[in-house]
Amino acid sequence: MSKNLKRNLVAYGLVLPAFLVVMLTVAYPIVLAVIQSFQDSKTGEFTLDNYTYFFTEPAQLKNILYTLYVCLMTVAIAIVVAYLLALYLRFVRSKIAKTIGTLYLVPRFVPAMCAVYAMITIIRDSGLINRIGLVFGHDVKLGLMYHANGMIMMNLWFNIPFAALMITAGLGAIPDSIIEGARDVGASKFKVFTSMILPLSIKDVVVAATFVFMSNVGSFTTPYLMGGSAPKMLGIALFDQFNKYLAYNRSAALSVIMFLICSVSAGVYIYTNLKENEWEK
Amino acid sequence: MFKMLNPRRFYHAVGRKKFLEFLLLAAFILFFYGPMLNMLMLAFANEYTAPAVLPQQWGFKWWSYVFSQNSLVSSIVQSFIVAIVTTAVSMVLCIPAAYSIARFKYRGRKIFMLSFLLTNAFPKLGIYTSIAVLFYRYGLMGTYAGVVIIHMINSMMFMVWLPASAFRSVHRQQEEAARDVGAGPVRTFFKITLPMAMPGIAVATLYTFLGSMEEAQGTLLVGMAKVQTMPVAMYGIVLDSSAVQIGAVFAILLIIPSALMIFLMRKYIGPEAISGGFKMK
Repeated sequence: MSKNLKRNLVAYGLVLPAFLVVMLTVAYPIVLAVIQSFQDSKTGEFTLDNYTYFFTEPAQLKNILYTLYVCLMTVAIAIVVAYLLALYLRFVRSKIAKTIGTLYLVPRFVPAMCAVYAMITIIRDSGLINRIGLVFGHDVKLGLMYHANGMIMMNLWFNIPFAALMITAGLGAIPDSIIEGARDVGASKFKVFTSMILPLSIKDVVVAATFVFMSNVGSFTTPYLMGGSAPKMLGIALFDQFNKYLAYNRSAALSVIMFLICSVSAGVYIYTNLKENEWEK
Repeated sequence: MFKMLNPRRFYHAVGRKKFLEFLLLAAFILFFYGPMLNMLMLAFANEYTAPAVLPQQWGFKWWSYVFSQNSLVSSIVQSFIVAIVTTAVSMVLCIPAAYSIARFKYRGRKIFMLSFLLTNAFPKLGIYTSIAVLFYRYGLMGTYAGVVIIHMINSMMFMVWLPASAFRSVHRQQEEAARDVGAGPVRTFFKITLPMAMPGIAVATLYTFLGSMEEAQGTLLVGMAKVQTMPVAMYGIVLDSSAVQIGAVFAILLIIPSALMIFLMRKYIGPEAISGGFKMK
């Protein structure tokens, strides 16, 4: 056996088991679901009804728009705050910056459910903020529970540290020397930011934004525990279709719709990532 | 010392810049750590009736309550079983694949690599419902095997990409040097390559284990109340329970594994390692 062939056999032998598992447990079910989404639940004939249902039924259409609203608000606020935080962590060298630089790593390791529950103990009607308000004689009703704003706030808790982390990694790759160089030849701080720092870090911003967006389109735990009953986030709507109404064809169609919403940003993510993949060539 | 508690005095004492930094730190801690601290307090509150901000009576009453509930204790055991099996299986499957992708050049390598992104490209809940349809067919609903599969597909991207980039960063010359003095390929791998790639593998393993410990929605869907891990039990507690303390105690139990693992592996966990999994470098 030639050495080359042997090497190839080893290489494929190592990668194939994992690849086949992914194909079998992810790709195959997805393909089946896509097929199923075009089938009538009783006759199995081709139909678009499963899709049109989600765009014609007012309650379902509201769910889609509601999800988009929550996700886009989350992305917008999270990215702006995370970018400012990342700039601060990159360019300010002080004890406080160092402390925040360590503390912001922790939320990523807190199980989602615990964080949501902890937030609920603060913002619900008999929660901490209400109790503190009562001490000063105000009955504070935040109205965040079962409301979009509460969910957006919770999403920010999860996504700001995460986005800041990714952006900080990008900013960290910008050498001090080129910034000092620009400052030496007379560029103002603002100019350095707009013409050097921003263009050099925009790729990480885009990647962070797509990740934040995608992770929130299908989010489940936060809306399950904090969201209202109508309108619902799509994750909950999907769970209901599957678990409550046992409408497998419709739930397959809704999965595909969610995928299409995500795929716009997934495309951006993959494109941004592939551009700099030198070692893979 | 108490003079410092007057904001205006504090402002003039430390200067504008420092003052703003302290404000930032305070806001950061209040938002990201306030809820958790409040929950920690609640877990040790025997008595906590409405208008009071601090508990009337402290103690371990609710801890003994949680540990006296058989269903809750069994959920802790089940969580660990599932997490350990998931971690072991995905290590066996993914680390060879990671090595293959990092070290060999062959046709379709890029496709293999991208295939592990698939789980992240499609909405999680959509994948779960699609798999659940198949699980019904093959009798995997409500079984440990089914739950482990769900947990595993979540972690495969980390488990391939992080170790792959770790293997990639081991210099080939070091392996060649070992080969030159007579070590076989297997021995070179275990004595040279694996130890040097260990930090990356350790972080990926940590993610897999913690990810499995906190996976909730998939287990809720596929476990069908027969396999009930801690997060699934937590859903029930949050939605039904009358006493806020039960949830607090249980949430802290759920955080302990993460906290412990982070402490043990703190050497390996840095911003780079955490964000590294999201890039194809």
